This record gives sequence, structure tokens and C-alpha cells, in this order.
Amino acid sequence: MALLEAEHLSIGYRTRNGLLRAVEDVSFSLELGGSLGFVGESGCGKTTIGMALMGLLPANGSIVSGALRFKGQNLVGISDERLRKLRWKEIAMIFQAAMNALNPIQRVGDQIVEAIRLHEPEVSAAQAAERVRSLFSLVDLDPERSRDYPHQYSGGMKQRAIIAMALACRPDVIIADEPTTALDVIVQAQILAEIRRVQKEMDVAVLFISHDIAVVAEVCRHIAVMYAGQIVEQGTREEVFETPAHPYTQALLDAYLTIEEEDAALPQAMKGETPNLIVPQKGCRFYDRCPHADAQCRQEPPTWISLSPTHKVLCYGPRS
Amino acid sequence: MEIRRYILGRLFQITLIFFVILTVLFLLFRLAPGDPVSRMVDPNMTPEDAQRLIEQLGLDLPMWQQYLIYLKNFLKGRFGISFHYGQPVSEIILNRLPNTILLFTSSIVLAAFVGVFLGKIVSWKKGERIDTWVTIGALVCHTLFLPWLALIIIWVFAYWIGWFPLTGMISAEIWTDPSAGLLRKGLDIAHHMALPLTTLFLIHFGSYLLVMRSSMLDTLREDYILTARAKGLDEATIRNRHAAPNAALPVITSVGLSLAFSINGGALTETVFTWPGLGRELVFAVSNNDYPLAQASFLLIAAVVLTANLVVDLIYAYLDPRIRY
Amino acid sequence: MKTGNEQRDTLAAPAGRRDWLAGGWALFWENPIGKIGLILMACFALMAAASFVPPLLDPMYHPMHGVDPEISHATGPSAAHWLGTDFIGRDILSQLLAGARIAFMVGLSAAFMSIFFGTLIGMISGYAGRFVDTLLMRIADMVMVMPTLLVVLILSSLFGQLRIWTIVLLIALFRWPGVSRVIRAQTLTLKHRPFIEAARVTGASHLRIIFRHIFPNVLPLALLYMTFRVTSAIIIEAALAFLGFGDPGTVSWGMMLQWVWKTGHMFQAPYWLLPPGICISLLTLSFYMLGRAMEEVLDPRLRKEGESE
Repeated sequence: MALLEAEHLSIGYRTRNGLLRAVEDVSFSLELGGSLGFVGESGCGKTTIGMALMGLLPANGSIVSGALRFKGQNLVGISDERLRKLRWKEIAMIFQAAMNALNPIQRVGDQIVEAIRLHEPEVSAAQAAERVRSLFSLVDLDPERSRDYPHQYSGGMKQRAIIAMALACRPDVIIADEPTTALDVIVQAQILAEIRRVQKEMDVAVLFISHDIAVVAEVCRHIAVMYAGQIVEQGTREEVFETPAHPYTQALLDAYLTIEEEDAALPQAMKGETPNLIVPQKGCRFYDRCPHADAQCRQEPPTWISLSPTHKVLCYGPRS
Repeated sequence: MEIRRYILGRLFQITLIFFVILTVLFLLFRLAPGDPVSRMVDPNMTPEDAQRLIEQLGLDLPMWQQYLIYLKNFLKGRFGISFHYGQPVSEIILNRLPNTILLFTSSIVLAAFVGVFLGKIVSWKKGERIDTWVTIGALVCHTLFLPWLALIIIWVFAYWIGWFPLTGMISAEIWTDPSAGLLRKGLDIAHHMALPLTTLFLIHFGSYLLVMRSSMLDTLREDYILTARAKGLDEATIRNRHAAPNAALPVITSVGLSLAFSINGGALTETVFTWPGLGRELVFAVSNNDYPLAQASFLLIAAVVLTANLVVDLIYAYLDPRIRY
Repeated sequence: MKTGNEQRDTLAAPAGRRDWLAGGWALFWENPIGKIGLILMACFALMAAASFVPPLLDPMYHPMHGVDPEISHATGPSAAHWLGTDFIGRDILSQLLAGARIAFMVGLSAAFMSIFFGTLIGMISGYAGRFVDTLLMRIADMVMVMPTLLVVLILSSLFGQLRIWTIVLLIALFRWPGVSRVIRAQTLTLKHRPFIEAARVTGASHLRIIFRHIFPNVLPLALLYMTFRVTSAIIIEAALAFLGFGDPGTVSWGMMLQWVWKTGHMFQAPYWLLPPGICISLLTLSFYMLGRAMEEVLDPRLRKEGESE
């Protein structure tokens, strides 16, 4: 049984102009100790999936249909009280580095202690503080700094503290939403290495969300490429990187490679707008930007094609 | 240490502002149309007394010397003789100072606490009927015309129902009664203070409530609130431990920014209730062309506002580690 | 939160300036506070316009000099005087209507001037930066802690009875710092936007950049602030008149309250005490509500300071 499993998950936001379907018919699964990365540009719904897993969708957002199972238990429609108990204890989250995810007027250590004692009331304050110190050592932070306030930390230190906080209750899954965006390259590499190491040491499953396919590839064994609310390609890291099947994946990889070669020209497929998610589209959502689109793509939505037991793509004529 | 530099910086700034006020006031009193001597020396004084005062204030000397004497006199607390009372001005204003501080401080502290408390509750019920009504109520309180509110309160509670004294700060019969204890005297003051305090409280708490409400709504959108939620904290804890302490900081800033506005209100309240404070003394002095008294009351009021500013800054620094460290 | 932004981006993309205005108006009107504020203000504007009528009907309805020949003391409402008369037989309703005119005049002109000073100083401060910025902002700090009412009081003791336009000017001179701080902050964020940089590169003069490029962008914020300044100007003028330092040649609501208070009619003549106070309070309330509703349309995060002036 998979640790975490989504089946035909659709998530919508009620807006002034109608229901915005941010996530449409998404299915994936994550094994114990496994790692799955979501890649896509902003607005593709990857963050929405993370928030839905935590039960933290904003007030106007809700799961429209589908199931979200954690250890076999459906999280859709579960009571708030039970969801609260699950949070952090079972599913923790590493927020975007750019966010001020730490309360500015509380000591960093105290914020971690709060999480520990909330879920394990039997732990004394002294024991919790001790655990914070060992967590700090684990993520290469000076344990003495746990008495500091967030503004006394650098960006990289804050992110390490947030990783320490995510590990505080030894969760089974950690959702990492753009954990390295806005950090400089060196710190970014350090934090990624940290996440990889921690994942191995503590055998925790990681669900990694990023707009940067290279970053995802560094941490995750499985990759799901998202476009306009749908997963369009899913497979192991090697499959996606070596035999990308969806034109969008190819474009993402092209963009990544051209940046590597310091050539700023955008590949053909990246031009154009992402589709409006309020008015449903008849055919393939990538139609407007796809270099290979034909009449059929415009008329009917594509269906999944399996390329290997682990690799599948949502496209009519996957080209390699 | 950061905090010491911060306090010293603020102290320096406030001293500088006070010095500028002192200087501007000097220039205004010397350069305004009319005879500066007649503004500082009571026309009804005997010529000998007048001469002594002119010499003491240096009114017969060149401007720059007058200025130095003015500064020296200020440091020694010599502000001349009140035309109306015939007493040294310093005695009068020092006697009024505690009354003003008592009314001013208690009304602001009370209003800030109630405003923060209610603002927090209301923000949690955003969009519900109670939110709309409390917001409108706070807006109305904040925009009520203070002297009129004071008159209405006197009319209803002192004249009509008769629960409280009409005006003043103490009842003469209690304070001249040698058997009256401290408690009785204190209660007497409280009894007199109830209505002016209510007036100032009503005017102030609305704006603090509105600031707290919108600050809470902003804070609840902050990332660390999302973290708190993700940690599995219940809503009450998120509100009280994570949102409210952060949201209260702008209220403190707003208290500081509105101090000048508050002291205006304080002066009006003192005048209507004949509360023997500095504000009333200033209004009285201006009405009676008692220039030395007016000048000194104004200076002392400015000093009160500036000191209050400093206190607010210190409270802010104490509550916000980003300044403390 | 990221999800919120994702959504907003998709929604905001096609909106043009006119749509934005229409959308802003819809948002404003949807807000009960904005609606009530605007309706209240319209009523007072009507009162101010109507203030010209009573003196035309009969000279005894002149708010200042008109005296009912048969009345020489305060009387309650009657057919000839709907709201009664004051202690020398002047019509209270006429005074109330004239007071509305004065309040609008004082409020709008003082607010306009203080916004003018504040915007100008804020733009210069933010655009020039460095020494000019520090100097102007220190001055702003200094003026900000001055209690305007008491300052005007002291000045009136030195310079004698102040005319209404002097009072208006003084209020404006002491009420600009709050505005200038906000405008300065806004200018700072604008200064490094590409279109400003572009204008600078193409050789536009500083004046041209400030007035052609920065000014239109800070204008909505300045207008928002103007509504709050109207409120404080009306209150200060009324308080001054109430204390007996108003322009003796004008009939303002504060003056009416001063008369009822000083002549000892506050407990005897509620018909005289209530109307002016209610009017001052409601008019300031209407401007305040208007401002808050506008603020929600513009952006609640733009303005943090000076909430309670």
C-alpha cells in the first residue's frame, strides 16, 4: 500500500468569475521513504496540491472530487480536528524560502518546541528543548542559535531551521514547496543536499514542488510534470530526463539546457499564455503552445499512454 | 548593544525637537506684532516689580542675549509671573501637570487595551454581522466631535441622572475635612474623573480597534500564520499566540502617531469638564491674554507629548525583538 | 499565500484601466461603509447648497445678523423656526445650513492644501533622496508631533483673532507630514521602476519625471489621504470655534456649540445643543467612511501610518 495516494483529484477555487479549476483529475502515489517531484510553471496547481495535502486550502478553495489517501485513510471530508492531529505529526511542510515562515517575535527554538509539545504532550519542556538542539545539529545549525529570533538568521539558516522544524515530530511525509527558491546558488545546493541527506537518514518520504526541473531532479526519484492543473507526464527521473515524451516536458528540458548553455532564447513551445482555468477547454490544454498540435488535439482531450510500467504521458502523439 | 543605541537615538531626536520648539516659541513671542515687553510683563504690575522682571528676563537686552537668558531661565524653570494668578508660572503649571498626566495616560492605556482586545475578536468574525456593527460603532465613536460628546455626557450623566459631579476634580468639602482618609480622597478623584475619562476613552478606543482589526486581518495572511496552521495548532492558539502579538505592534505605532491628536482632545476635555490640567490652563491663558502662562503651558504640553512618544517607542522596542536585538 | 497569488494573476491579466475603474467603483459601492458615507455626504452637500435659501425668504433668517424681532431669547422649534432660535432670536436651522457650507469650505480647502504640500514634499523627498530626504523627513517628524489645535491656539493668542482663511492655511501647514511620508514611500518604490529609469535615460528633467511620471502614480493615494484630512480639518476648525477662537464673522457649527455652551443653555436647550454636534460628527464620519471604502479599493497595504489623526 502506498503511503500517500491521490486518485482523480480535482481542486477548485470559487472566484468572482466562476469556479477556477486549479487542479484537474490528478493521480499519483508516494511510497514510504520515496520521493516525488512536481514540476511546472507558476499557476499550474502544484502548490495547490501541497496545500490540499496539508488541509490548508484557502477559504474559497476545496477538493471538488477524487480521493486523497494517507496510509489508506481518505483525507477528503475528514474532520478538522483529526486533520489537525495529522498535520506536522504525520505530514510536515517546508515552506518557500522566500516566505517569512517563522514568527518574527518568537524565538526560533520556541517555535519548534511548540510543535513538539503540541503533538507529544508527554514531552517535557526541557526534553523538547533538548530535541531542538539535536535537530539543529542534524541540519548543521549551531544549537546555541535556537534562542535567537528569526531576523538574526540568514536566509539559508532560516531554511535549515524550517527543515529542523519539519523533522521535529518525525513525520512520514514532508512536503517541500520551492524550498530553495530565492536562496543564492551555493546555499541552494547546500539546502538541497541537506534535504537529500535528511531524507535518507530519517527515511522520510518527500514530496517536492518546484518550478525548476533541475532542482527536482536532484532530490526526487520520481517526477510529475504539471501543466495548467493537470499532470502531463509522470515517470522516474531517468525516464523523464532521457526520454521526455510530452512536448511541454521537452520544452522545460530545452529551457533548462539552453540556460546551461547561457543562451537566453526561449524555445518555440514556451511562447504564449497558459489557458484560462475558469472556462473549460475542449481539447488539449497545451494546444495553443504546442509545436506539434493538430486538429485532433483541438477537438478532444488526450488520454494517458503508458510508455513503460512507470512512465506515462497525457498526449496524443508523444514524440521522442 | 542595539537597544541602547536605539534609545539614545530617540532621546537625542526628541531633545532636538523640543529644542526647536523652544526656539520657535521664543521667536514667535519676540517677533509677533505688538510690544514683547507687554507680553511678558503684566501691565498692572508696579513699575519696580516690572523693572525687576524685565531685568530677570533680559527684555532690555539684544535679541541673542535675550535668547540665552531665555534658555537659562527655562533650565531653571523660570517662566515669569502669570498675569491672572499673579504667581510664578512654574508653580501653576507644575501643579497642573500630574492632573493632565493622570487623565491622559489612563485614557490612552484603557483605550488601547480595550481596542486591541475588541479588534482581535472582531477580526476573527470578519464579514459577520457583529463585525459590521462593531466597525461602524468604532467609526462613529472615532468621529464624534469631542467637545459635543463631553457636553452630552455631562448633560446625561451629571445633570439628568446625576450620578457624577458636573465638573472639577475634587469636592472641596472632602478635601477640607481633616478626617477624610486617602481612600476617600482617591475615590473622590475617581468619581470626578469618570466622565472625562469616558469621553476620552470613547474617542480613542474606536481608532485603536480599527487599527487592530485591519492589522489582525493583514497578519492572518502572513506566512508564519500558515506555518502555525500547518503545525496543527488550533485556531484560538493561532489567534492569541501568533497573530495577536504581531498585530498589536501597529496599534502601538498608531498610539504614538496619534499622541498629538490625543493631547488636543485632552485639552478640550479638560476645558469642558474644568479639569485642572495643562490643556485647560493653556486655553484659559490664551483667552485671558496671560502670555507667560500660555507659553509655559504650551511648552510643558509639548514635553508631555514628546515624553509619551519616547515611552511608546520603548514599549514598542520591548515588544518587538527586531528592534531589541 | 501562493495559491492566492496564482489565482489573482490569472484573473487580473485582461483588465484595462477603464475596467479597473469600473471594478473599483463596483467594489466601492458594494461596501456598505462606502455607500453610507457617500449618501451622508450628499445630504450635507444638499444642506450647504440650501444655505443660500433662508436669507432670501426673510432677512430674519440670516444666520449671523438676522434676528426674529419678536424673539429675544432661546426658543424651541416652531412653525417659523423649525429648529428653534438661539439666545438672541436667530434661526438655528439657517445657522445649521450655513455651518454646512463653512464646514465643506474649511474641510476641502484645508485638506486640498495639506495634500498639495504633503504630496509635493513627499515626492521631492523620495525622489531626491539622501540629504534632502533626511532633512525633509526630520522636519516632518517634528511637525507631526505638534498638536495642531494647541499650536493654532497659541498663534491666535499672539496674532489676535484669526480669519477663517488663516485658520485653513494653518491647519494645512500642520497637517502635511502624514501624507508626505506615505507619498515618499510610494515614490521610493516607483523610482526604480523601468519606466522611470527609461525616462531618465532619455534625458527627461527631474521636474518632468516628478510631475509627468511619478505624480499620476501617487495621485490616487493622495486623494485617499485627502478624505482623512478633510475630517481632521473640520474637527480642528470646529474645536477652535468651540473654544472661542474661531472667525467671529462666520457661523460654523463649532461656533454654534460655543454659543450654546457659553450662554449656559446646554441643559435647557437640547434643540440647540444637539443639531450642530450631530452634524459635525456625521460629516466627519461620512468623509472617514468614504476614505476607508476607497482605501479598500486601492490597497489596504499602502497605508499604515496616520490612521487616527
